[in-house]
Amino acid sequence: MITTATMQTEVAPPPLRDADVEIKLDARHVNFWYGDFQALHDASLAVQARKITALIGPSGCGKTTFLRIFNRMHDLTPGTRATGEVLLDSHNVLSPDTDVINLRRQVGMLFQRANPFPKSIYDNVAYGPHILGWSKAQIDQVVEESLKDTGLWEEVKDRLRRSALNLSGGQQQRLCLARALAVRPEVILMDEPASALDPIATLRIEELMQELKKRYTIVIVTHNMQQASRVSDFTAFMLMNQKRAGEVIEFSPTDDIFNRPKDSRTEDYITGRFG
Amino acid sequence: MATTRTLFDQELAELKSGVVRMGSMVEQAIAESMRALVDRNNALAREVINRDQEVNELHRQLRERAFMIMATQQPVARDLRLIVSFQHMVLELERMGDHAVGIARAALRLNDLPQLKPYIDLPRMAEITESQVHEILGAVIEADQDRARAIAERDDEVDALYHKIWDELVGFMVQDPANVQRAAILLFLAKDLERIADRVTNIAEDVVFLHTGRIVELS
Repeated sequence: MITTATMQTEVAPPPLRDADVEIKLDARHVNFWYGDFQALHDASLAVQARKITALIGPSGCGKTTFLRIFNRMHDLTPGTRATGEVLLDSHNVLSPDTDVINLRRQVGMLFQRANPFPKSIYDNVAYGPHILGWSKAQIDQVVEESLKDTGLWEEVKDRLRRSALNLSGGQQQRLCLARALAVRPEVILMDEPASALDPIATLRIEELMQELKKRYTIVIVTHNMQQASRVSDFTAFMLMNQKRAGEVIEFSPTDDIFNRPKDSRTEDYITGRFG
Repeated sequence: MATTRTLFDQELAELKSGVVRMGSMVEQAIAESMRALVDRNNALAREVINRDQEVNELHRQLRERAFMIMATQQPVARDLRLIVSFQHMVLELERMGDHAVGIARAALRLNDLPQLKPYIDLPRMAEITESQVHEILGAVIEADQDRARAIAERDDEVDALYHKIWDELVGFMVQDPANVQRAAILLFLAKDLERIADRVTNIAEDVVFLHTGRIVELS
């Protein structure tokens, strides 16, 4: 006999907007242009607090563009324009009155290639707190805490005044993460943070992410689908539409995206049938 | 959309055809083991027993191949479900092959003794079971979950016949202790058929999983 409970074949919709779910970053109908070229079309994404959300999709689908809008990195590129809303705790970060410096403190970023300043390890982490005018004692404390949070402290505590450029690639990337953590952000954006690292350094970053998500909200762009499936709680699959503008095709809990995607384009992509 | 995983798709297709080939071998073994009983054909019974080695060897090869595909291609979603389902299906088919051997062994023992009774319900039970095996292979090929569910429902018919045969054989045992040996062998034989039908249901569950990603209980 077939029980009715087992007849269900529809995937349950993700609880992305339940009342008891805290949405940290809420992108609503975002469109984005580089000059005349529309790079993003009507993209929405409700990022849950203290979860890891991955953006995946083929090259050119707008995932990095989308990520960079979250802390207005696109302001640095002339001729760009964004419409729609990106609510950070209900404030629209796209509105002209946004304090962009403060926004980037709240929403930190880690890039594909580690980009430490040509300064000492200490000064790299102390850079943000110093600009914010924190006391020496506060800065000392936050440097130690941030390096501990990224698992670097034991490795570098005896050479804090040495150049950060002498660290290995994986250590440099963790230093950049410590630099982002030092200003007490709420959200961390990661753009292919491990693509230039070896497998061991990659796994360290991934383990670190699991620790950090207890306190921070993380959005990661990755080409590595195994990485997305390993580390993230939610995954958004993006694709270019016919006009070459990126769109969010499917956004679900990561388990569903990698086991039972609803959209055949998602399934084709994650199973390597195109892209 | 042009496929970018030609080699992988080819490996999956080969795995699938291996599963179907194994299914056909098992289907034949079940049919021939029953024929060995009904026709009192000992040579055919021995053939079924010997040929089980080929089923076992194919099982081994398919498991190895499935493992290699998983290790080298990192399948996800429908691809992963396909391979995991096939792995489970070949295990069920291998066990079905063992049940066919059980029937053939029973036939060898019974064929040396006077026939206890005309075989009526047992061949009927075997007929349904064989058709279930044949049908479920079709559902695997087509990945047709509706068909798989319908096939699983026929398990009730097999169970009903099994209980009828049980009652009848126990009656024979009660009637005359001289019947006990033959009736007991026939009971084991009926149990083999009943288990084959159960394993068809397990494969039907795999087909549903393949289609939906949900692990279901169809029995």
